[in-house]
Amino acid sequence: MNLRRWSITLLAALVTLVTVAPLLWMLSVSFMAPGEAAQFPPPLLPKNPGLENYRTLFGTFGIGRFLANSLLVSTLATALALLFTVPAGYAFAKLRFKGRDATFRLLVAALVIPGQIGMLPLFLELKAMGLVNSYAGALVPWLAGIFGIFLVRQYCLSIPDEMLEAARIDGASEGQILRQIVLPILTPIIVTLALFVFLGSWNDFMWPLIVLADQDLYTLPVALAAMSREHVQDNELMMAGAVVTTLPVLLLFLALQRFYLSGLLTGSIKG
Amino acid sequence: MAGLSIQAARKSFGDTEVLKGVSIDVADGEFTVIVGPSGCGKSTLLRAVAGLEELTGGRILIGERDVTAFAPSARGIAMVFQSYALYPHLTVFENMAFGLRIAKADKDEIARQVKRAADILNIDGLLDRKPAALSGGQRQRVAIGRAIVRQPQIFLFDEPLSNLDADLRVRMRYEFAALHRTLGTTTLYVTHDQVEAMTLADRIIVLRDGQVEQVGTPRDLYARPANIFVAQFLGTPRMNVVPVTVSGATQAALADGRVIALPARAAPLAPGTRLSVGVRPEDIAIGAAPGALPHRIIFIERLGGLATLHLQGPEGSEPLACQLRDDGSLVEGDVVPVQLPPDRLHIFDTDGRALYGEARE
Repeated sequence: MNLRRWSITLLAALVTLVTVAPLLWMLSVSFMAPGEAAQFPPPLLPKNPGLENYRTLFGTFGIGRFLANSLLVSTLATALALLFTVPAGYAFAKLRFKGRDATFRLLVAALVIPGQIGMLPLFLELKAMGLVNSYAGALVPWLAGIFGIFLVRQYCLSIPDEMLEAARIDGASEGQILRQIVLPILTPIIVTLALFVFLGSWNDFMWPLIVLADQDLYTLPVALAAMSREHVQDNELMMAGAVVTTLPVLLLFLALQRFYLSGLLTGSIKG
Repeated sequence: MAGLSIQAARKSFGDTEVLKGVSIDVADGEFTVIVGPSGCGKSTLLRAVAGLEELTGGRILIGERDVTAFAPSARGIAMVFQSYALYPHLTVFENMAFGLRIAKADKDEIARQVKRAADILNIDGLLDRKPAALSGGQRQRVAIGRAIVRQPQIFLFDEPLSNLDADLRVRMRYEFAALHRTLGTTTLYVTHDQVEAMTLADRIIVLRDGQVEQVGTPRDLYARPANIFVAQFLGTPRMNVVPVTVSGATQAALADGRVIALPARAAPLAPGTRLSVGVRPEDIAIGAAPGALPHRIIFIERLGGLATLHLQGPEGSEPLACQLRDDGSLVEGDVVPVQLPPDRLHIFDTDGRALYGEARE
């Protein structure tokens, strides 16, 4: 019994090490002097830790601008996605209207189409609307994710109809029911969805690359990629850039982890 | 407070007609129970009164107002659901206050109403708790409290006790009766449990297949059921019904050829008329007497004070159930003389309708 516990602990420690080591080394390298990480064998810790790389990033390359761009895009993407997907998911689950199930089936069927296939038509559409090279264009794909609608709908199905009917008898309007009864119950799934969308839009590379031409509008991943073309051998600088990209979402995830996990578990645990 | 009048209510879901022209009048302050087997439309009827289902035809009047087209909240009703339907993220106080808050009632008024309801139901100690921290019985009380706070003209209950364990169900039954005495509010109560119907109701409405089978006091329905369905639906074990053929002025032959006496009020019946004779298990007597029919006891359900005997006559006869005080003297396999007292018999025609002196035409 004891042996089993020890071996599980050991295994867990190993997996953790393998997962965390690259991240820690990324952090370590970002404090090294130029060229230091390219030595053999590569050093684990910087000889003279310094903030030189970060100074270059924020000073010369103005990465602060891209960080702000990314924060803006991801925050807006998250807010807009929640604004549209949560009521949509609720409506598909609980409101009676014509063509509800047929529409939903169509949406779910569309889930199997890879996003890349839609990129060209979407681009042409946005071009016609004059939204190319704007944040509005960058945000469009996040507005109403089918996966989000699906997630919210499935969760809403577990809300008993009688509860909503009780609220109707109590005189609540449909809007009040959504705000005062449904949303509080949906909190875990809303946090989960928000996290998905924020992470997704934060890490998204392809679409912002396609739709944003103006360098001032670049988000972090696009800016970092552009930078790495010129500075392909500057490992330390790139690692500092990676830290700036990773850290905010990592902190966000840790802060919301409690809700996120309860959101993931809700399907399996009754009541 | 007000009475309720349902007039020729019809409701279809697609091609299925669930309510086939139901008309019911509930007097002001009356406790009326709608009872029937599952799928008879009783919950649909209740939900239609609440405004949660739109009728396909007919009208609903509460007091003098035609509320057929009204929103649920405008009808002056409060409903208690089978699943309680409490708001899980709100405290007991907030659950009970929800309707008044939506109506933008004065804060002190809300507090006063909630306090009053909580006092009636003995839940004033639970007001700060969330529903998850309550037992089933407590949740049920909160759901009732939420209904009381609305000060409705009519209470609607949809199988409110079916989620409780047997013990609690008996106690809550008693409390419902007490609550109705205290508040005196017109009540429409739906259940499939005939015991609840018998014990709670001023009047019972028996529903089957979307139609009213019979309306009356519990005593009425039990003593003078209008048809075999009502006769067998109320009472446990259910009423024995056996086919007979009239063979004389006041006698009839059973399927096995043996002859029983019919009640005098059934006369005159033409010989050869086919009928059904019903007799409640507790009306059957065991003991030697002229005309007693020998039956074998094939099974005894002993319930402590009472026992139910399952009896079988000769080949071709219908089995009978008989309920009596259990003195332990009878054993399975015994052959006993069975008396069917003529004045306790119910007579039904071939369509299952009861034949009572004055009703028989």
